[in-house]
Amino acid sequence: MIRYILKRAVSILLTFVTVSVIVFLMMHAVPGGPFDGNDMPVSKEVRDKLMASLGLDKPLYVQYFKYMWGVFHFDFGVPFQSPGETVLQLLARAWPPSLILGGLGVVIGATIGILLGIAAALRRNSWIDYIASTLATLGLTIPVFVISMMLILMFAVFLGWLPAKGWDKPNSWYLPIAAYAMIPMATYARYTRSAMLDVLNKPFVTVLRAKGLSERRIIFQHVLRNAALPMVAVFLPMFIGTATGSIFVEAMFRVPGLGAYFVSSITLRDYPLEMALILMITMMFCLAYLLTDIVYALLNPRIRFGGKS
Amino acid sequence: MTLPRPRRVALGAGTSQTPEIPLMRLLDIQNLTVSFSQHGGLVQAVRGMTLHIDQGESLGIIGESGSGKSVTCMAALRLLREPPARITADRMVLADVDVLKARGAELAQLRGKAAAMIFQDPMTAFDPSFTIGHQIVETILAHRSARKAEARSEALGLLARVEIKNPAAVLDSYPHQLSGGMLQRAMIAMALSCRPKILFADEPTTALDVTVQAQILQLIKDVQIEFGMGLVMVTHDLGVIAETVDRVLVMYGGRVMEQAPVQDLFDTPAHPYTVALLASIPGRTGGRRRLTEIPGASPNPANPPTGCPFHPRCPVAVARCSQDTPVLRSTAPGRDVACWRAE
Repeated sequence: MIRYILKRAVSILLTFVTVSVIVFLMMHAVPGGPFDGNDMPVSKEVRDKLMASLGLDKPLYVQYFKYMWGVFHFDFGVPFQSPGETVLQLLARAWPPSLILGGLGVVIGATIGILLGIAAALRRNSWIDYIASTLATLGLTIPVFVISMMLILMFAVFLGWLPAKGWDKPNSWYLPIAAYAMIPMATYARYTRSAMLDVLNKPFVTVLRAKGLSERRIIFQHVLRNAALPMVAVFLPMFIGTATGSIFVEAMFRVPGLGAYFVSSITLRDYPLEMALILMITMMFCLAYLLTDIVYALLNPRIRFGGKS
Repeated sequence: MTLPRPRRVALGAGTSQTPEIPLMRLLDIQNLTVSFSQHGGLVQAVRGMTLHIDQGESLGIIGESGSGKSVTCMAALRLLREPPARITADRMVLADVDVLKARGAELAQLRGKAAAMIFQDPMTAFDPSFTIGHQIVETILAHRSARKAEARSEALGLLARVEIKNPAAVLDSYPHQLSGGMLQRAMIAMALSCRPKILFADEPTTALDVTVQAQILQLIKDVQIEFGMGLVMVTHDLGVIAETVDRVLVMYGGRVMEQAPVQDLFDTPAHPYTVALLASIPGRTGGRRRLTEIPGASPNPANPPTGCPFHPRCPVAVARCSQDTPVLRSTAPGRDVACWRAE
C-alpha cells in the first residue's frame, strides 16, 4: 500500500509538471496580452514598460521557470486584474464561498440522491421509483442556469421567501445550494439505483436471506456495502467542482466566488491567476483520484488482499 | 455403480392420503404450484408438487434443469421474489409453521434455524466484502443471543467439523482467497451453525471439481446423520442420489413422476421417464455402446403439454396420456407413480 501511494505520488508530480508546461505554453500562444484591452488603451512605450516590470519581456522558458520556482515556494504571484493583493490572498477571499456552496451542494445532493436511489431500487416500478427516475433525468438534462432561473422565479419572485441573489445573509444560501445540488443528486440517484439493483441480483443476497438475516441488515450491511464500491468512484471527483465553482450558479445568484475568475483570468490574460487556478485544479484532480483509489482498496478486500492465499 | 443400502426404509412414504404421522414430520407440502409472470405470459415452474420429509430422513429430488426441483426448495423457504413468483399450495408446513402465512420476522426465524440451505455455486454464495468468519458469526447471532467471542469460537469449531485443515486462517479469509471446495465446506459449516432440522442441498457439488465432489457428498451425509437432520438433496446427477439419500422423488415438467426408496428406484423403475433416465447413465449396462438419450426436449414451462408432461417423449404413451393428467398413486409399499401405464 505504501509503495503504491509513493508510486502514485511520483506520477502525480509528473502530471503536475506536464500540465503546467502545456498550460503555460497555451496561455502565451493565445494572441494578445494583458495590456491590449480597448477600454483603457496605453501607448506602446507605457505597455513595454509595464511588460518589463512584470518580467513579461523575458524569453518564455525564463518566465516559466521563474513562475514555477515561485510556485515551489507557495508564491503564485500577483493577479494583473487585482494588483492590490497576491494570488493567494485572492484565493483566500474568493474560494470560501465556492467551497461552501459546492461542498454543501455535493453533500446535500449526494445524500438525497443516495436515499432516492436506495428507495427506488428497493421499490422498483413503484411511484417512488418513477419520481426518482424523473428527478434524476430532469436534474441531468435541464441546464443548471435554467434550474437557477426557475428557483429564483419560484422562491424569490412569486413566493418572496428567499433573496434572489447574494451570499451575505444566511437565507441567501438556500437557493444557490439547491441549484448546485441538482446534478450530484441526479447523478447519485441513478448510480445508487443501478448499483443496488446490481448487487440485489447477486446470488449471495439469496444466501443471506436463506440464513435468516433481517431484510434491514441485508440491505444496510451487505447490499449497501457492495453497492458503495462503484459509488465511491464518482464521489470524490465531484468535489473538484467546488474549486472551479459552478460558474453558472455563482453568476446567476451573484455569489462572490471563484467561478468568475476562471473566465476573467482568461479574457484579461491574467497569467499568474490563470496558472494558479489550473495548477490548483490539477492538484485536486490528482488527489481526488488517489484518495478514491485508496478508499476503493479499503472497501474491496479483493484489491486489499490480492489473489488466493 | 454400487448402491448403498438405505439406512431406514421411510415409514408411511405413501401419498398425501396417508393418515399416519411417523416420527416428526419436518416438511409437508401438498399440491404446490409455483408460477412466474413474465412478459405478460405465465411460466409454470411447479405444477402440483407433493412431498414430505421426516426427522432424520433423506430425500433426493432428481430431474433435468427446468423440472422445478430447485424452485420447490426455494419456495419452501419463500426465497423467490413474489411477485413475479406466485406460490400456492393446499398445505405447506415447515417445522410446524405454515410457510405460506409466515411473514417478515417469522420467516427470518424459520430460515437458517428450522431449515438451512446449501447452494450450487459456493464462489458466488458469500458476500465478497466480508470474511468467512464474519458471515458465519452473523448467522449464529441472527438466531441466538450469544457473545461475539462465543459465536466466533463456535464458528471455528464448525469449520474444523467440516474438515477444514486450518480453520483459524479460513475464519479470517475473504471468499476470493479460498477454493471452491473450501468455500462449499464453509457454506456447510454456515448452514449447520444454527442446528437446522432440515438441510436443503441444491446441487451442492455441481460447481465443484470432480475430485472434491465425493468428499463434499460424504461430508453432507456424515453431518446429516450426526446432527439428525432431514436432508433434501436436489440434483440432476443419479450418482449423487444413489450415494446420499434414502428415498427419491423424480420430477419432470414441474410434476412428480415417481417416488420410491432409492434401491427400488434403481432396481425396478416404474415410470417410463425414470426408465429412460436410468438407461441414459453411461456404462450402466456394461460394455461399450452408443450413449443413450431421451429423444425430444423438455416441456416448455410457459406452454406445458396437456395430460402427462412426458407423453410427447414417452415410448409407451397411449391416447389417454395426452388428455388426462395422471395422478400420483401408490403401486407398491413406499412407491408412488404418476403414470396411466404403470401397474
